Amino acid sequence: MAVVRFLAVRLMVYVLVVWIGVTIIFFVPRFVPGNPVEVMMGKLLSQGTTMDPVLVESMRKTLTELFGLEGTLWEQYSSFLSRVILTQDFGPSLSYYPTPVSMLVARALPWSLGLLLTALLTSWLLGNLIGLLAGYYNKKNLSKLIETGAMIVYPIPYYILALLLVILFAYIWPIFPFVFQVSGTPGSWPWLQSVAYNSFLPLVSIVAVSLGWWIISMKAMVIDTKEEDFVQYARSRGVSDHKIMLGYVARTAILPQITVLALSIGGVFGGALITEILFGYPGVGSLIYKAILGSDYNLMLGTISISIVAVATATLVLDLIYPFIDPRIRYK
Amino acid sequence: MKKFLTVALLLVLISVLSACAGAAAPATEGSDAAPAGDEMTFVGTPRRETLILDNLGGTLERPDFFNPYAPGVDMGRGFHEVCLDNLWEINTTTGEQFPSLAAEMPKALNEEYTSFEVKLREGIYWDDGVEFTADDVVYTLQLGLTNDKLPIHGWSIDYLKDVRAVDKYTVVIDTNRSQPRFSKDLGATIWDATRFWPVPKHIWENQDPTTFVAFPPTCIAQYKYSKHDPNGNWTLWELREDWERTAVGMVAGKPGPKYLLWNFVGTEEKRILAMINNDVDILQDITPESMEVLNNRSDTVRAWHAGFPYADFDDPCERGIAFNNSQFPYDQWQVRWALALATDIKNVSLGTFAGMLRVSPLAVPPVAAVQNAYHKPLVERLLAMELPDGYKPFDPTFATAMAEIFNEQGVGGDLPTTEAELIDLFGVGWWKYDVDQAAKLLEEVGFTRNAEGKWLLPDGTPWSIAINAPVDFEVQSGRLAFAVADSWSKFGVDASVNTMTGGSFWNASSTGEYQAGSYWPGCAIGPDIYPNVSFWHQKFIVETGQPAPGNQHRHKSDELARILDELEKVTSDDPRNVELSKDLLMQMALEMHWIPMFGTSKFVPVNETYFTNYPTADNYYEGPWWWWSNFKYIVAQIEPKQ
Amino acid sequence: MRLIKPRLLVGIVIVSIFSVLGLLVPLFAPEDPTAWNTYFRNLPPSAEHIMGTNNLGQDIFWLLTWSIRNSLWIGLGVSAAATVIGVLVGIFSGFVGGITDRVLTLLMDVVIAVPSLPILILISALLGGKSSLLIIAGVLVVFNWPWPGRQARAMALSLREREFINVAGASGENTLKIIVWEILPFMLGWALANFINTILVAISAESGLAIIGLASLKDATLGTMIYWAMQHQALLLEKWLWILSPILSIMLLFIGLFLISTGWSDYFATRRGRQ
Repeated sequence: MAVVRFLAVRLMVYVLVVWIGVTIIFFVPRFVPGNPVEVMMGKLLSQGTTMDPVLVESMRKTLTELFGLEGTLWEQYSSFLSRVILTQDFGPSLSYYPTPVSMLVARALPWSLGLLLTALLTSWLLGNLIGLLAGYYNKKNLSKLIETGAMIVYPIPYYILALLLVILFAYIWPIFPFVFQVSGTPGSWPWLQSVAYNSFLPLVSIVAVSLGWWIISMKAMVIDTKEEDFVQYARSRGVSDHKIMLGYVARTAILPQITVLALSIGGVFGGALITEILFGYPGVGSLIYKAILGSDYNLMLGTISISIVAVATATLVLDLIYPFIDPRIRYK
Repeated sequence: MKKFLTVALLLVLISVLSACAGAAAPATEGSDAAPAGDEMTFVGTPRRETLILDNLGGTLERPDFFNPYAPGVDMGRGFHEVCLDNLWEINTTTGEQFPSLAAEMPKALNEEYTSFEVKLREGIYWDDGVEFTADDVVYTLQLGLTNDKLPIHGWSIDYLKDVRAVDKYTVVIDTNRSQPRFSKDLGATIWDATRFWPVPKHIWENQDPTTFVAFPPTCIAQYKYSKHDPNGNWTLWELREDWERTAVGMVAGKPGPKYLLWNFVGTEEKRILAMINNDVDILQDITPESMEVLNNRSDTVRAWHAGFPYADFDDPCERGIAFNNSQFPYDQWQVRWALALATDIKNVSLGTFAGMLRVSPLAVPPVAAVQNAYHKPLVERLLAMELPDGYKPFDPTFATAMAEIFNEQGVGGDLPTTEAELIDLFGVGWWKYDVDQAAKLLEEVGFTRNAEGKWLLPDGTPWSIAINAPVDFEVQSGRLAFAVADSWSKFGVDASVNTMTGGSFWNASSTGEYQAGSYWPGCAIGPDIYPNVSFWHQKFIVETGQPAPGNQHRHKSDELARILDELEKVTSDDPRNVELSKDLLMQMALEMHWIPMFGTSKFVPVNETYFTNYPTADNYYEGPWWWWSNFKYIVAQIEPKQ
Repeated sequence: MRLIKPRLLVGIVIVSIFSVLGLLVPLFAPEDPTAWNTYFRNLPPSAEHIMGTNNLGQDIFWLLTWSIRNSLWIGLGVSAAATVIGVLVGIFSGFVGGITDRVLTLLMDVVIAVPSLPILILISALLGGKSSLLIIAGVLVVFNWPWPGRQARAMALSLREREFINVAGASGENTLKIIVWEILPFMLGWALANFINTILVAISAESGLAIIGLASLKDATLGTMIYWAMQHQALLLEKWLWILSPILSIMLLFIGLFLISTGWSDYFATRRGRQ
């Protein structure tokens, strides 16, 4: 019974989180002094083309109508909500009118997921493993060396690190491509090869900057945990070193790391804005950026909502499985 | 067993990765070498036959969309450059139009300029083998008249009265009002036409023109669509076998390279590195520092000028600072003039683009054709021009002073030596840098200075100016804002820069909700400037807060309105056109309706490893406007290197 | 003890150097280092300009000190506020439970679920580029406290069930006392690591915004310094002092802080071990 109540409340929270988040994304851009119609007009004006005022006025009127920006904010909000709830349709993108938002997202999402999930899992596994060993054997020289390495790479601003990678491995020693250029029929073996080859540098750049944090935080947790009474007790009982490290220390120390991992997995759907811009990687992050630059309300809602739903789902799942990982917690 | 599996998995991974790296590496290796003859591009075309252009529009989110009338279409990456064509194209060296799809310039059928006959070239074919005829033109113009969901609709019903085909190659168009500049309204001027591109009737019939994807595009110029990157980075166009059956084929008599590849390489660092690697032949918009990198690292890359100052100064829009002239204190001419005189223009030039800029005191850009028609003939009048207190603000020494600065810095070796040539390069001059006169003007309208030398508004509060500047696009305007703010700060005005994304930058200009901005409302390409200045008429002013159809800077002037009304009635070739335009420009300068500063500098570097005969300062058959519709005529001249 | 002290010491020395560079030295700047064309452009290092001048005619040394000052301010301010708020709210929420816990968790979940970078870009646009450092810092705090908050809550949940807390609860101590005396010390090692991470998150978020040109570009920070250097192709033109000095500063600053963090937590662990 308690479990059912817990579930009901947790699901309600989930719905609330998503609804509040989406509402924020609906209203904030509309209060920003920029609107998709002016962006479109500005694009033409900035070319220096002759735009006589009659043309400007009529285009403005037609576009406002096409983009569904007539009526009060409440009218727009309620029609948006009912449309999304009833048909899950975010409407047409405004900067790429009349292309549907769903079409743009469907193209970008697999790219973001593929790159970021791989990068995240690689760095999480690698980082925590190194962190565990370095923390458990924190008196060894190798441990200190690893720590020093993590400390030096971790704080380099991502943009600079990525750019250095490009200059080193695409220009000075050109073993990886400059530009994201995938060739071959999608799904075929040469295509997969091409994707792997093209995604390698972006992948390495993300792993390199995130690895440090996993190592450092894991190490700190391990050092704290291994001094705890239950570990000392186990040690005094003569449990083997390996067992203590994996069964006692790692199991406790990994908990906060799982929390952060779950939350980061949700973040994956939002894409990595700077990575994608820098490497020309065709994911959701650059879609979000373009949506903001073009004041494309519908595209912003479509892309950022996915991210919100994903993060909310990740936290939900996390809360539900937590008791299975940490038996000391009970549903209340 | 578990261990074995792990090891096996690792091995597979490693071998896959190294195989990928190995397989793809040869494509990039060796690109430093001179053309070997049989290299292939990454899209599988021979490199020697493929001209590779930087794509100004970046990565396309919808690369398979070719409907020129849909709001969200990208006209670049080759689409309007080499696939669509116009009735009349522009020659940017003279600023004059010439017939492209049309056989001749339009013929007015009456004295009132309300009816025109358009003759089409015979024997032009779409790339699917169907002939281009008067029906296509009529159909396309009807699209705008009959579809109220097309952005072009409002203009169409306002402008067009009737459109009909007289015979297979003749169209008669009636307009609602007198249109002495008919060919400019329907043909290309700056960048392209904006209202009319003929589309093939046989393809578009029975489609909804508001949502029609038009993929693959049916081309009428000498190239046809070949393939594109689903991720939107590149588009490949192939020369039509029947290129002689196109307007370019008939006018130029030759086609251009076999393949054109528009490819977006990424951030500016990558774009210049790619050019150094000979993976790009034509780059679009870069900064002076990037040009310096190119000069240092490559022997085959050249800019518009082979030597200093490298850039082409003939872009048809000029940069400067514009205000909302309806808002205090910028509604007073004294304040605008004071700010102009408090601008240290030489330092602003150095700070913006390292001095590689041409000044302009007038509201039209200092491009060669315009400078010869207006700036130079008006120097006498500029010198004689007086502010109401008798002060003469014009200073003609800018060009020689800049040359001196460059000679001191030791970079002026490539500069011309005569004053006339220097003026051709750096402009006729600008306003004096005279902070005392600026102070006098401000004090006249009640401004005061506090103990620290900072200016106070008449009501005693500190005066601060926020200058809007574009971020991440139009680098020159962005930097100009910072350089001007720096100059004004030194004068004692608290000037700062608002860096803005496109959305808010244009919204502010349209609604007038800003103080000052690094905008570029001064464009023109030839002596007929009326189409580019007509929007300054005060009848277009709307209240601040409302989006403006024209006169975004809300400058009210009966005198300007009077001259504009007269100009509207004059045809392009009437001698009174230029005379009235001169009066207009002098009046604009006197009122200081905005502060024009510099023409736009474009470095437009080209790589001569695989191709040659690009337009350059020494080979000036056209301007370097790779992203304009008239590129189809430029590309016809570009030749493979022997 | 002897093993721990040198690390702490090195960390403190590095951070102190940066504090002096960032907080004291800028007071002696001869002119406003952010103004353009104050000096000749691209001068090599000399007695007058110990790191030379850049393409904008600014003195690189003085510009760097101002940048360090502003970045330190952002990093420390944002991190301190976010960590303190997060840890307190998290512990409170986890330990008290019930409806309070639900509401606080909801709040944290909403903030975590809304991606911060797009909102930061939007807010920069909302302010029309007028975003001052203070506003950027404020937004960063809003987006960063829930992370330590959720972790602290998770730890509090886990700790609540452990013996030493139960013992304390049974012996009649009140909640606040338990939190302050029993839970907080246990979390300090982790909180400090989080604190240092948040400093970096704040500094890199600011420089991330700066890189796309949307931070407060007229203010000197390590991020905007990198932005202007990149804009002027300092990397490819090999103007190393201009581009590398802010990068190295960020790295060194972090190493310093990190040494303090680990040195301190080692020290803390030993101390607790002896208790």
